[in-house]
Amino acid sequence: MKIKNARKTVIREDAVTFQVDEGRLPVNPQTGKPIRPMAQPGYYPGYSTLSQQAFWDEATRKVVLARVEQVPPIRFFSSDEAELMQAVCDRVLPQDDRDEAHKIPVVNYIDDRLYNQRIDGYRFEDMPPDHEAHRLGLQAIETIAREMYGKSFTQLDQTEQDTILKSLHDGKPTAAHDIWQKMSIHRFWMLLLQDVVDAYYAHPYAWDEIGFGGPAYPRGYMRLEGGKPEPWEVDERRYEWEAPAGSLSDRYEPIGGPRHHKQQTPGQEGTH
Amino acid sequence: MKSPLLGAFDGARPGEHMLGPIQKLDVPMHTFDLNEEVDFCIVGVGSGGGVLLQRLARAGFHVVGIEAGPFWDTERDWVSDEAGSSKLYWNELRITGGEDPITLGANNSGRGVGGGSVHWAGFTPRFHPSDFRVYSEDGVGVDWPITYDDLKPYYELLEKEIPVSGPAYYPWGDPHGYSYAPHPLGGVGDILVEGCTKLGIRVVPGGPVAINEGSHADRPHCIYRGFCIQGCKVGAKQSTLVSHVPDAVRHGAEIRADSMVFRINMGKDGRVTGVSYFDSNGNTREQKAKVVIVAGYAIETPRLLLNSACPGFEDGLANSSGTVGKYLMVQIGNVVLGRFPGLVRMYKAPPAHALTEEFYETNPKNDFVRGFAIQTVGPLPIAFAKQMMVAKGAWGWGMRRVMMDYNHWTALGVLGEILPWEDNRVELADETDHHGIRVAKVTFSLHENDKKIAKAGVEKTSEILYAAGAEEVVEEPRYAHLVGGARMGSDPRTSVTDKWGRTHDIPNLFICDGSLLPTQGSANPGLTIQALAARAADFLISNGPDLMKRERRMVAVTDPPVRHDLSPRGTSGRGVPRIKARRRG
Repeated sequence: MKIKNARKTVIREDAVTFQVDEGRLPVNPQTGKPIRPMAQPGYYPGYSTLSQQAFWDEATRKVVLARVEQVPPIRFFSSDEAELMQAVCDRVLPQDDRDEAHKIPVVNYIDDRLYNQRIDGYRFEDMPPDHEAHRLGLQAIETIAREMYGKSFTQLDQTEQDTILKSLHDGKPTAAHDIWQKMSIHRFWMLLLQDVVDAYYAHPYAWDEIGFGGPAYPRGYMRLEGGKPEPWEVDERRYEWEAPAGSLSDRYEPIGGPRHHKQQTPGQEGTH
Repeated sequence: MKSPLLGAFDGARPGEHMLGPIQKLDVPMHTFDLNEEVDFCIVGVGSGGGVLLQRLARAGFHVVGIEAGPFWDTERDWVSDEAGSSKLYWNELRITGGEDPITLGANNSGRGVGGGSVHWAGFTPRFHPSDFRVYSEDGVGVDWPITYDDLKPYYELLEKEIPVSGPAYYPWGDPHGYSYAPHPLGGVGDILVEGCTKLGIRVVPGGPVAINEGSHADRPHCIYRGFCIQGCKVGAKQSTLVSHVPDAVRHGAEIRADSMVFRINMGKDGRVTGVSYFDSNGNTREQKAKVVIVAGYAIETPRLLLNSACPGFEDGLANSSGTVGKYLMVQIGNVVLGRFPGLVRMYKAPPAHALTEEFYETNPKNDFVRGFAIQTVGPLPIAFAKQMMVAKGAWGWGMRRVMMDYNHWTALGVLGEILPWEDNRVELADETDHHGIRVAKVTFSLHENDKKIAKAGVEKTSEILYAAGAEEVVEEPRYAHLVGGARMGSDPRTSVTDKWGRTHDIPNLFICDGSLLPTQGSANPGLTIQALAARAADFLISNGPDLMKRERRMVAVTDPPVRHDLSPRGTSGRGVPRIKARRRG
């Protein structure tokens, strides 16, 4: 079964954006050269969860294949918003290391959730409804871009874009304070991140990247201990990579800056 | 693409309602005339409601369960996929606030027949004897109106009915053994056992957990795929959907799924007359019943009682004490994650398969009372990414990088006791749901003792991970398990129900779910909720005729015998624990 290019339905008519911007590529630390976009980044070359789909039950197969083959159209965001959201998501979770055919259309999945008003079963009292929060958040990001750089967020370079997003991460935005009166900044940042990882790590391409086993009914697993791969899984083959020099996101600092400690994170699935 | 030897797995067959690959539900089930006044109407068919429905039906009563969510056909409806399983949760709007707000939905709220037991990880430890006497022993919280010994026979019954897999000897609380074999360890359990052993901490591998290690009757054994909280398509993990509901249906119970009860109706004589609900087509219906039992869990039960306010009960039903919705609890559920040099692949094996309760009881050396447990958890990629978002502040390339190391990480969960506080509560928000019914507003804040337990739990768990060889340890604060909100107690001025779940104010209105719990210990509440339901059933069955007489408020049988003949087919009397608990005093 051929898996179609999931990216095709994303509206990006500007041909220039399809060109690879070398400055945005991860770098091989040995050679200092950019690593070319790959069909499958990550340490499990050749691993494919989709290759195992005959071993999945029918209901699961339908759901996962639909995710790959039937990418929902953009219906919630306006075309301007969609373009801005794409630029934001390209930094919140960069995919520059993926070739065009294997980029995961996270904006479409987020749009689909908001269009269908699917929520996670709660809303913080200091937050507007999710769909409003996303609209306000985009407005705020655009306002900050224009205040700081006099340009649209979509026109900024990666360092400028990351600077803005980092200010949200740190809870210290430089503008759009009227919007932050209407919603909690760190809850918005977590809502955005959560929606992006919800979309990305639901995709079989992402499972291949991180070496996750994927659907496992009715076959199950037999090698439980010692991190051993099943016969259809592959061993890890690590390579070194550095984030592009202009990016600011390959570091780990607490949300809201140091000493910020909130007891709760939104959308956490149950664990125990 | 290679095909399986037996051909592709095609799944559901037309015209059959499957619960797992083997168990078939008898369809069509019995339906009562819509105008019949049934004996018992249960609102919510989850952990509590499912067990209760089964027993009342087996005892021969006319019983209807009304469930807001679907009656799952597991082969058709459930998937072996994290994102595709969101329909298992209560995703309708609730407002959450307070100093330390609780996230709801996927974190702790089920929807559909089986309720929370569909998406629980299945840890089934008993509460400790001390949990029932927290006020007497530690001067905090409140004592239960029952003791451990009152509940113990029902723990033993449910451990067979579920059935619970676990070690031959379980050393904590009231030490006891399990009839059914423990599970093999996955990568996470291996690390917990390794770390605890190095530090001299007692730890039990392989359970207690509500997952079949071997096949029993029409319930297959576990296949170690790790999708427990996405709903067990295998049918190995217990939910009341697969363990009790089939027996209930076989004995003439009716379940009305996709039907949302919005009001309990009061008669003029101070008794309830039944419930009003929106059926699966959105039409308003009324179900008359001699006795109504609310089993909607810690948010929806108070919401329904409050939304049923009427003349004479202006503050909501059964709320003369003013405690409906109050003393809501969650457990400290901080996840502590360690990165290991080698691969772990924590997605394999059930998330719940090893634990220690060594730090469960009050220790005078601590600067807090009560304690915590440490348990295995095995987050799948999306949950893990959200943990890394908080635990490491990961985003952008940092998120991509740490996710590429997913298979190197291990997650352990702290499960700590949060005490019941009056200010942690469920109220009604001004906003309404799509039916126009006011939604719940949840307010939650941590108190000093709670924060100290969380801190101590995270420190101890980190120590264990380092001892097992972790090179980096981080933590994500979070909560687990809702309980409380309509607590039982001996004093009608400070509780909603008596020790059987009968509301103090209304003689034929009962509550049977996690909202009854006055305190919660550091044990996962699922087993206790089911055991309380079985105990409530014995009361309801023994006193059925009295409860249904309009002129009577008193019941004849105040100490009903334990009925051992009401277990689902093929569970009672099976399995012999080698070590039986012998509790002193």
